[in-house]
Parts: sequence; C-alpha cells; structure tokens
Amino acid sequence: MTFWERWRIPIMLAPTMAIVIILFGGALYYGFLQSLGWQPRIGNTELSLDAYNNILFAGPQTEQFWRGLVLTLWVSFASTFLSAVLAIGSALLLRQTFVGKRVATFLFQFNLPIPHVVAAIGILFLFSQSGLISRGLAQIGVIGAPNQFPIVVRDSLGIGIILSFVWKEAPFLGVIVLAVLQSLGEDYEDLARSLGANRWQRFRYVILPLILPGLLSGSVIVFAFTFGSFEVPAILGVRFPRMLSVTTDRFFRDPDLNSRTEGMAISMIIAVIVLVLVFVYQWLSRRAIRQE
Amino acid sequence: MTHVYLDKLTKVYPGANEAAVSDFSLDIPDGELVAFLGPSGCGKTTTLKMIAGLIRPTRGRITFDGEDVIAIPAEKRGAVMVFQNYLLFPYMSVGDNVGFGLKMRGVDKRTIRQKVQEMLELVKLPDISDRRPNQLSGGQQQRVALARALITEPRVLLLDEPLSNLDAHLRDEMRELIVSIQRQLKVTTVFVTHDQEEAVLLADKIALMFEGVLQQFASPDEFYQRPISERAARFFGGVNFIDANRNGNKVETSVGNFVFNAKNSDNAPEGDSVLTIRPEQIAIGHDVPNGENVVTGRVRSRIYVGTYTRYKIAIDDCEIEAIRSADLPGEINEGDEINVHFPSDRIWFVPRNSN
Repeated sequence: MTFWERWRIPIMLAPTMAIVIILFGGALYYGFLQSLGWQPRIGNTELSLDAYNNILFAGPQTEQFWRGLVLTLWVSFASTFLSAVLAIGSALLLRQTFVGKRVATFLFQFNLPIPHVVAAIGILFLFSQSGLISRGLAQIGVIGAPNQFPIVVRDSLGIGIILSFVWKEAPFLGVIVLAVLQSLGEDYEDLARSLGANRWQRFRYVILPLILPGLLSGSVIVFAFTFGSFEVPAILGVRFPRMLSVTTDRFFRDPDLNSRTEGMAISMIIAVIVLVLVFVYQWLSRRAIRQE
Repeated sequence: MTHVYLDKLTKVYPGANEAAVSDFSLDIPDGELVAFLGPSGCGKTTTLKMIAGLIRPTRGRITFDGEDVIAIPAEKRGAVMVFQNYLLFPYMSVGDNVGFGLKMRGVDKRTIRQKVQEMLELVKLPDISDRRPNQLSGGQQQRVALARALITEPRVLLLDEPLSNLDAHLRDEMRELIVSIQRQLKVTTVFVTHDQEEAVLLADKIALMFEGVLQQFASPDEFYQRPISERAARFFGGVNFIDANRNGNKVETSVGNFVFNAKNSDNAPEGDSVLTIRPEQIAIGHDVPNGENVVTGRVRSRIYVGTYTRYKIAIDDCEIEAIRSADLPGEINEGDEINVHFPSDRIWFVPRNSN
C-alpha cells in the first residue's frame, strides 16, 4: 500500500477536521479558561472555580441558574417530544396517497428555511394577549376582551417558546421520518398485518422501531439546539426565570467584564449537560428498543 | 388445510387504464401447492396480495372453505405471506422474529418460546434463536421467514418469489425444504414465480398468467403436453409452431401431411390451426425408417449442450428444432439430410393467433 493510498482519506478530511478542531476546540478551550477566571486584558490571570461556585452553590445568581436550568430542561424536552410526536403523525399521513398531497407536503415543509427569530415574532403576533388570535376571538365574542386570552407568550412556563420551537422543529423531524418511511415502503407493515398485527401493533412493533434510529438522531439535534438556543427565549421568555442561554448572554454583555467569567461557566455547564443528556437519551432509547 | 376459491377476481388500480388482474377464477383444493407463473408485471403478486387481504379487489370474491373472506382484514384472515426479500425485523433476534405472529395474538411467552424452537427445528435451524438477522446468510433468512409464517398455523401460506434471491445451490435446498414442509403440514400454499422451471419442480398445479388474465390452470405435465395456446407453449420451451389444416385425424402442413391421435385435437377447432410438437419429442436421424409421419429435412445447425444436442432442421421453407440425447448412437452433422419423425401421439394443436 503506497503512502497516498494509506493516508488519502485522512488527508482529504483534514480541512474539515482542521475547522472543527481549531474553531470549535479553540473556542471551547478559551471559553473554559475564561470560566476559570482567566482574563488577562483586565488583569485576571489566576485560575479558580469561583464562578462555578457562585453559580451552582452560593452566589447571587444561584437561584437564577437553577430555576433557569429547570425551565431550559422543560422547554427542551417538551419541544423535542412534541415535535417528534407531531413529526411521526404528520409523516404517517403525508406518505399516504390523498387529494392535495403535494400542497400539504409543501405547506408542511414551508417553514423549514424561515429563521427562528421570525418564527418567534410570528408566535408573538399570533398568541400574545394583544395578538391576532386574542383580538379575533374577542371580536367574535368568544372572549370578552383580548386580555382574557390565556397568557401563553412571555409566560413562566415557556409555552410560547415551546410553541415556536415545535413550529420550527416538527417539520424538520417530519422530513427525516418521512424520508425513512418512504425508503422502507409498506412491505414491513404488510408483512406484520399478514402475521396478525393490528394497526396499533404495527405502529408499536414495526414502524416505531424502524424509524427510531433516524428519529433519535434528529431528536438529539433538536434537543441540543433548543437547549442552547438564544433568540427565541430572548423574544418570548420572561425576566425570571430565564433560560440558561439568555442568562449567559446577559452575563456576557454586562458592562462589568468580570461577569463574563460567570457567563462562560454557565456555557460550560450547558455544554456538559447537553452532552450527558444526549448520551443518556440515546442509551435509554436503544435499551427500550432492545427490551422489546 | 383450506380450500381456496377465487371468483372473477379483478383489480384496477386508481388512475390505471387497464386492470392489473382481470376476471381471475381459480379453485385451489385443500392442501395443494399451487404456483402463479408469468412474466414480470402480469398480476401474480397483486393476486397473491388480494388473497392475503393486503390489496382489496375491485370486483370478485375470495372464499376460504366456502366462507367469503373479502371483508375480513388481512390481520384476521389467516393468509400469511412470505415476502421475496424475507423482511426479517432487523431490530429483533431470530427467536423474536419467529415468535412475532404469536406475540401479536397475545400468546404467553413460555408457549411462544416453545413454538419458536419447534419451528426453528422444522426449518432445520435449531440453534440460532439468539442471533440477529444480519448474522444470517440469505438461505437462513429465508428459512427464518418461513418459520415466522408457519408458527401462526396459517389457513393459507403465500410465498412471493421464494427462491429468486438465492443462489443455485441454496435454491435446490430451499425447494426441497418447502416441498417437504408443505407435504408434512398439508397447508394450502400459493407461490409466485416467473421461473417456469421453479414452478414445475415445486407445484402440484400451475396457474399461468399473462397481462392479468389466467391463461391455463393445469398440472406441470399438461403444460408440456397439452398447452392451451402458442404463448403458453412458448413459455414452457415450445419452439415448433407450424400452420396446419386439420381434417379428422389427418393434418396438412407446409412440412408434410401427418396423422395424429384424435384426442390431441380437443384444444383447437377443425380446419385452420397451429401444429406444435416439443423438440425432444421429434425423432431425427439417419436411422429413422421411412414411413408414416416421417419427412426429410436438412440440418442447418447443431449446438452441443452436454447431455443433449439441439438441431435446427430445414424442411422445405420451414425450420423446426429437435433435441437428441447425446447418448444415442449415430452422428448427425450440419448439412446432413436426415429423416424427421413426428410421432402421431405427440402432435398437439393450438388455435391460430393464440399469442
């Protein structure tokens, strides 16, 4: 085997790997150092875990962090779960033959290229107490006044944020599931039918396990994205509790440059939590499949 | 054991101009092994899926032991299908795959384990219950798929091209296994194939289909000896078709006048028809004596195929093909003038324009 044959693939991969390692690894390394207090421009060169201690245990930001973490976990899990459920349901319907299928498929995927910030503003205009829906309902007399419409935007449960993420991510997962279903065809389901499986059993024991690998990969991306996403919670969130990404941004843009240390510490914690949760999520899902 | 009856079964797919299957009627006795044979796209698999309940017929009736099953959904019909590409569930072990049908019926785990073992022994794979489908060869996957279908004790077993994905050696092995299991369990079985040889080797009876229409339903032997049309004869290797004019038990053709057994003329009307005779039923050679039904021809070409030799022989303006066993004495070469004997009991007739 010649040198070129042996090293051809690593050499061809090198530019991509260089970008990943230098940009991502470098930023992570620099961010980690900052989270330990290393900011030579303002004279901080001593490394310590003070920022982590302030955030996690005994600082003025501790409550903000823990409440923010709970909200972030809730929003990410709820968004991912609801998007996955909607994606599966929609893909199962869209793969069938029906009148208007092409239009329905186009509409289903229509919002894929729309930026998240536009989606967030759209949710704000639609679902806030001064939004289109509340005013429309008040107009036709379903509610007495727009402010009687339930608060689903800029609410402490993050419902507006979840709505916005689901609106964006359900089609994303739906496209993945639809592609998997179309590549599989209907033979597996026909086979299961002929072996006696009813509609629910076919979904539970045939369709779900077959789409799960694709759905899992997509869900991991959605979960990681929603956990760290900034613009949607910044537009649709409340001041307290704030999602962790928004809190990080506040620290980072604080005029007091010392706050960056806390901001970077939260970023590091977000990265670790996402990594751990992604591994746990995948492990649990694979185990669930195996047990069946 | 189930008696299956198909009555004028027709399927027209939405948007299609022509029927995929048209007025298909067939009576399949209890415990028989029947082949649906025909070229690709002739409606074999569509018919199989209609029996399984996976495709709803546009018209017609299907009965199992006299009971109309059209309204019974596939999952309750008891007609289990084995697909061409096996379709073992990749996320399940072999044992779980085989036990799938019983699990869907809510059978308890212990019974499932026991029956799975019985079925794996039946298909001669007793020790692979814990393996994954991707650890099996094509032949093993086919056997597991068969075990998975049989464990549910189906009323009708439906096999879609069961041997087409296997290599020649495995094909022989699998064919024997299917026949022996079918004989043992006496389950009424329908299988689809485009391979005439496979149909002949496996089936008790063959339903030959062209363009969604049943051409002939008969035993393999009948397809060779008494084809219903020129097209059916050609599908089974027939190559000699000579325009003929029949009168009683005598026939005039462009290659000569012959006599034939009157019972061989049932299939075509008196007068104009087409005489056909299989290449292996024509006797040729320098040693064939002159006499009734013997004409003279010249050898145009010979192809040696190991156990036999195939000859093309010109008789006047007509060309026929004959096969001669390689063991027979006497050499026949290209250009030789030889006697050609059309045995009177082997001459058969098909209607004109029966393509």
